Parts: sequence; C-alpha cells; structure tokens
Amino acid sequence: MLFTSFSFLALLPLAVVLHALLPVRYRWAWLLLASYLFYAAWVPVNAVYLGAVTLLVFGCGWGMGLPDRPRLRRVLLVVGLVAVLGLLVTFKFYDFLAGELERFSVAALGLQPGLTLPRLGLRNPAGLSFYAFSAVSYLVDVYAGRLPTKRHAVKLALYVAFFPKIFAGPIERATSFLPQLRTGLRVEPERFVAGLQLIVWGLFKKVVIADNLAPMVDRSFHLAAYISPVELVLGAYFFAFQIYCDFSGYTDIAIGVSRLFGIELMENFRRPYLSRSTAEFWGNRWHISLAHWFRDYLYIPLGGSRAGQVRRYANVMLVFAVSGLWHAGLGYGVGWTFLVWGALNGFYQWVGLATAPLWRWLGGLMPRVQASPVLAVLRVLLTFHLVLVAWVFFRADSVSQALLVLRRIATGLGHMPAMITRYPFTVAHLQAVCLIALLMAVEVLDERRPLWERLAAMPVAVRWAAYYAVLAALLILGRWQAREFIYMQF
Amino acid sequence: MKHLAKPALLFVAIGLVLYAGLYAAAESLLYRTGDTNPVYKIVTAPERRYDWVILGASHAMPFDFADFNAYMERETGRRILNLATPGTGVIYNRFVLERFLEDHQTAAVLYVVDSFAFHSRAWNEERFADAKLLRRTPLDAAVAKRLLAYTLRQGIDPRALLDYVTGFSKINNRERLQRDIWEGEAQFERVHRPSASADRKRIDYLFPDGAEDARTFARYLGDFAAFVDFVRARGVGLVVIKTPVPARFRQLMPNEDRFDQSVAHLLAERDVPFRDFSQVPTDPGHFFDTDHLNRAGLTAFFTQHLKPVLLQPPTGQQ
Repeated sequence: MLFTSFSFLALLPLAVVLHALLPVRYRWAWLLLASYLFYAAWVPVNAVYLGAVTLLVFGCGWGMGLPDRPRLRRVLLVVGLVAVLGLLVTFKFYDFLAGELERFSVAALGLQPGLTLPRLGLRNPAGLSFYAFSAVSYLVDVYAGRLPTKRHAVKLALYVAFFPKIFAGPIERATSFLPQLRTGLRVEPERFVAGLQLIVWGLFKKVVIADNLAPMVDRSFHLAAYISPVELVLGAYFFAFQIYCDFSGYTDIAIGVSRLFGIELMENFRRPYLSRSTAEFWGNRWHISLAHWFRDYLYIPLGGSRAGQVRRYANVMLVFAVSGLWHAGLGYGVGWTFLVWGALNGFYQWVGLATAPLWRWLGGLMPRVQASPVLAVLRVLLTFHLVLVAWVFFRADSVSQALLVLRRIATGLGHMPAMITRYPFTVAHLQAVCLIALLMAVEVLDERRPLWERLAAMPVAVRWAAYYAVLAALLILGRWQAREFIYMQF
Repeated sequence: MKHLAKPALLFVAIGLVLYAGLYAAAESLLYRTGDTNPVYKIVTAPERRYDWVILGASHAMPFDFADFNAYMERETGRRILNLATPGTGVIYNRFVLERFLEDHQTAAVLYVVDSFAFHSRAWNEERFADAKLLRRTPLDAAVAKRLLAYTLRQGIDPRALLDYVTGFSKINNRERLQRDIWEGEAQFERVHRPSASADRKRIDYLFPDGAEDARTFARYLGDFAAFVDFVRARGVGLVVIKTPVPARFRQLMPNEDRFDQSVAHLLAERDVPFRDFSQVPTDPGHFFDTDHLNRAGLTAFFTQHLKPVLLQPPTGQQ
C-alpha cells in the first residue's frame, strides 16, 4: 500500500480513529496489527521475512541479557548480525553476482562453456534494507548495554515493523523508539496538526514535484545517446530534485503519520541542497538516519578518525562504498553504478579532508572573505554540482551510460548557450522549473526560521490560504497514478 | 482535541466550497475540449433519433475520424452516431448503449467485435476505472446511477464510481487544455510500414492475459450474449462485424478461429447477422498502424463492404 494510494489515504483516518478510541496502554498492539496488515497488503509473504527477522533479533537479544555469559553474548551478536545482514546481502546481490561470475568466467578466464550458477529468482522483500538496519542497531545497542534486553517481543516487533517507516525509513533507533511505547502513545493536538501539515507537504513533494519530474528524467536517461545535451543537463538537474522530493516526501509523510499515532520519528532531511560541503551534505543533511547509522555501527567501530590518517581515509572510503552497495536495489537495478556512486562520494570526502587545513589557513588570512555570503552561495553551488555529478551514476542503468551522459554534457558545454536558445522548451519544463524554484524558496526560508513557526505566526487567513494552495496543487498538478517511491525499492 | 473541532470543521467546509469551484471549472472545460468520449457524444448529440449507433473498440473508431462519419452519412443517407471507445469490451459498450437509449433512439446498432476484448478484465471491468476515460466523461446523473448499478452487478471497482462522482480525474487531468482526441486520429492519413516487432508488441498489449483461459472467454461470451438479447429486447436491430486486419497480424492473434466460430454460433442462434470482414484481402498500405485502417483502407472497405450493410438497417424484429 503506497502512501499516495487511495487505499492508504482512505484507511489512514480509520486507523487513527481506532487508535484514539483504544485505551492508551493497548494502542501499541493496534499499531502492530495495523503495521503487519499494511506491510502484508504489499506482498503477503514478505510478512514472513519480517516476522522471522523480528524473532531472530528478539531471541539473540534475550540471550545476550543472560547474566555472566560474555562468550554467549558475543556468539549471539555474531549469529544475529550474520543472519540479518546475510539475508540482506543474499537478496540484494546473489543473483547479480552469479551473473557477473558467469560473465567473468567467459570473458576473463576464457572458459567455454562458462560457469552456470543457480539463481534464487527472489525479489528483495520491500523495506528489508531498512528494517534489517533497524534490527542490527537493536542487536548492537543491546550488546553494548545502551539498551536493556527487551523481554517484550511484541513491542520489539512494533519497533521493527512500524508501518510509516518500514518501507523507506527513517532508520529509527530502538533507543528512541521503545521508550515512547513505555510512556504511552498520547496524541497532542498541536503534534496532530503538525503531523497533518507534514503529510500534505510530503505528498506535495512526491506527487507534484518528484512525479512530474520523473517522465522527463526517464526520457533523458533512456535516450542519452540521441538527445540534445540541453536535455541531458535538464535530466541531471531534474533527477537531483526528483530523488530529493521523492525520498524526503516519503520521510515527511512517514514522520507526519507517526505523529498522528503519538510517535515521534527522527528528522531525516535538513535542506540538503543548501549544504556548503559534501561532508555537511552527508553528515547532517541527507538521509541523516542512514548517515548516523553508518557512523555509529561501521565508521566508529572501525576506528573512525582516531586510528591514524591512513586508517581514517580507508574507513571513510569503506563507509561510502558500503553505503553505495546498500543503495543497490530494485529501483534502478543492482549494478556497479552504485559502487561508483559511493566511491565518488568517498573521494569527495577525501578531498575535503585533505584540503581542510588549507581552507582553515586561507580563512585565517581572509576572515571577511570567509564570512561573506557570496562565498557561502558559491560553496552551496559547488557542493550541489558535485552531488549532481554523483547522482548521474546513481540514476544511470550502467557505468557506461553515466559516462556517456557526463561526456555528452561536458563536450556540449561550450555550445550550451546557443543550444539553449534553440531548444524547444515546453510547458512541462516551465512548470518543473517553477516548482523547483518554489521548493528552494521554501527551503531557504526554512533554513533561517522553521516554516511551521513562520506559518503559526501568520494570521489564520494567510495560513489557511497557504494550506488550500498546496491542497489545490495536489489536486490539479499531482500525479496520483501510483508511481513507487524510489527508496522503497532498495 | 475538542478546541480544534470547530476550526477543523470550518476548514473542511471552506475546502469543500473551493473543491466545488474547481469541479465546476473542470466540468466546464470538459465541454470546451470534449470530442470522442461516448458519454460526451451522447449528451451533446444534435439528434434524438439515429439510424445507426456504432459500438466497439478502437477498430470502430476510424469511422468517426476527421470527416468520415459525415461522408458515410452522405453516402448512405443515414444518421450515424459513433460511440466506440478504445480498448473497451462488451460490458463498457453495453453501459454506453444503455445510457444512450435512456433519452435517444436508434434503429440499429453496428457492433464492431474484437477478440482481444473477450480475454481480459483490463478491457472490461477495469476499463471503467481508467482515469483517461473518467476525466472526459461529463457529469450526468443517469451515468452515475448506471455506474452504481454496474458496481453492484458487474463487479466494477467502486473507486470508479467515487472518482466519477467526485470529479477527481477531471480536476486532476493533465491534458485539460487539449482536445479529447484519440492518438490514432492524428495518423489517419498515414501508411504503416509493417514490422514484426511492432506486431508482436501490439499483440502482447491486446492480450495481456493471453487467450487460453476458457472460463474468462466463456464469461465475456456470456456477457456478449446478454448484450445481444438486451438490444433485441429493446427492439433495436443489430449487425455484428469484424473489420479487416492484415493477414500477418491475424496469424498472430491467439485462438482467433475459436473466437470466430463461437461468435458466429452465438449470433446464428439468435438470428443476428455476423459479417466477418477480418480476412477480406486488403492492401498492406491500407493501415495507419499494425491493425487500424487508414483513410484509403477505410474508404475502400466502406465502399465495397460496409455501405450495403448501412443502407439496409435491420429491424429489431429480425
């Protein structure tokens, strides 16, 4: 059931009303039932994987809670991690790697006939990438003593399966989620209204912006060899906003829906295209829950920045490479493009780390330049374009296609002004540019002072006019013909 | 929460008024851009009584492309209203005819039958919920009433009725400023260059569920029999035809002979004329795509085969 589907939007009020009618202490049980119904409505058999992962982490967590058994604790942690991550890796990569090995056996080893490996032919259960990471964080936190062993398997099941976040996050921590169940799921009116506002804004980003950009992006990448470089440039820019609005739209809806049930999920996006460096982009603004997950469960355990410069650089590249592989999935296929995307972002971090002392020195020499808004804008633009180049690999079907897009854009740059004047722009292009401009205007305002605060301070008439305008845009411009959220497919 | 109830109700009330405004604007725009939607044609039909109503799917639509309907009317002296709709089977066509007969009359119905429409829900029940159709269907109490009946009786998705009544697809129509013309009409003068891959693609599109499921076929054949009985019971004459298709295309159509025999048998039992022109020799240059007649092909087909049929409408008591 998609957040943008009629079924979801029709059933959500029913679920909220039932939740409100139940005594506070039983509400979590209703949420668990609703979560499994929501998840099974997509592909029923996937609920079996979800249940199995939940039972596994509960069993391992329970065993880790046994007193005076340090060896057993370690064994259970390893068993839990291998099982959960093994399931994820198998689903994501087994068939792809089998195909690559077969090709390699013919092309590089010259075997005739080449290897023939069996295929699983299984589709990655929706949301596995997300709930597997939630399960891993639970296991590690229990092992590290940050979380008491949960004796209540059913509440743990709700943490893993909670329906607003199961398909595409945020990758919530058990340390913040489970305590909310203990204190009771009460819905404050202000949070309820804030939840509704977020849902509407998330829908706007998804069905009005992302889904209207999608056909133009698809065309650009499918016809990369034949179309004008102008269209390739547009495709690359539009994709940057498509994926942002698609994913952050999902997150906004997820956080908003959670608020209707009295649960607060973590912030996942913080106006990422206003980042002044790629380190800021990845560390604090884009898919924050994943970035923090990698920081806490991979980068720091590997030694982080305290294990010497060489290890630090290696750890950074490893984290970004693994992040790239994590993103490989069904949306744009499983391919080497994601590894290149991850490595390219890792390379950006390397350059940032290596040049940081130089920038600090220059900043010390020219403090007024460093503080100038012009430099800030230039840094934002540079960061955005670095991210944009990486997105081309993310979206392309293959590395060669990504290189083709970038090569054609690069060779056409010199003639771009002339080509732009001749290019037959359409109403759809104009609409896309206007929507992106509107989004960025909202983000810039939000950066200075949260938009909800601004709205709350306005007269009712202005506030309501803004709400009606967004709702009208959803009705008039929205594309509601069920296009999946991109990140749901990972 | 109670202190929020009053402003929330006011917000919803104002929202509903604004929605009604959008709905009215979309409905008014529909009448400015409407063209091929069958309900639109019925509610804007200049006459109350016709000699022929043409029903069917896309193979029946070229009869109304450009000025061809007027040409047929001149040549035959008959008043003809073409209510064919692309990708529709017998259930949708009966729905259209029932609506037509509520306030119009016709001496006879020419039904252009297509085998693909007997093998999938996609061309029957599911077609009712297609936003492309709903967004061009004018608001009409008789249609809403009939859609409700079909929802209860035929298993049409209730969301089709909800969409129709709320006008959501009309408000949400991205092509709201464009004329409602089927894309085939723009190619009417074109000559198609045959392509095996295009033929294969078209067959895959027309038969999304294949043509092997005997139960599905029997079910839609039953609906077709009920349609024939309905037309006869209303005292309206009926002729069923198949239009020409290229021989190479026909060879790809799964179970086409079984279909022809079944339809011929069903119609013979009811004494309804069935004129199968699908295998008459046709020039390959007489098609604008894989299987639709272009102007030259349609003119030749009309002159040689269809005109005599239209000149003598059967009576309802045939």
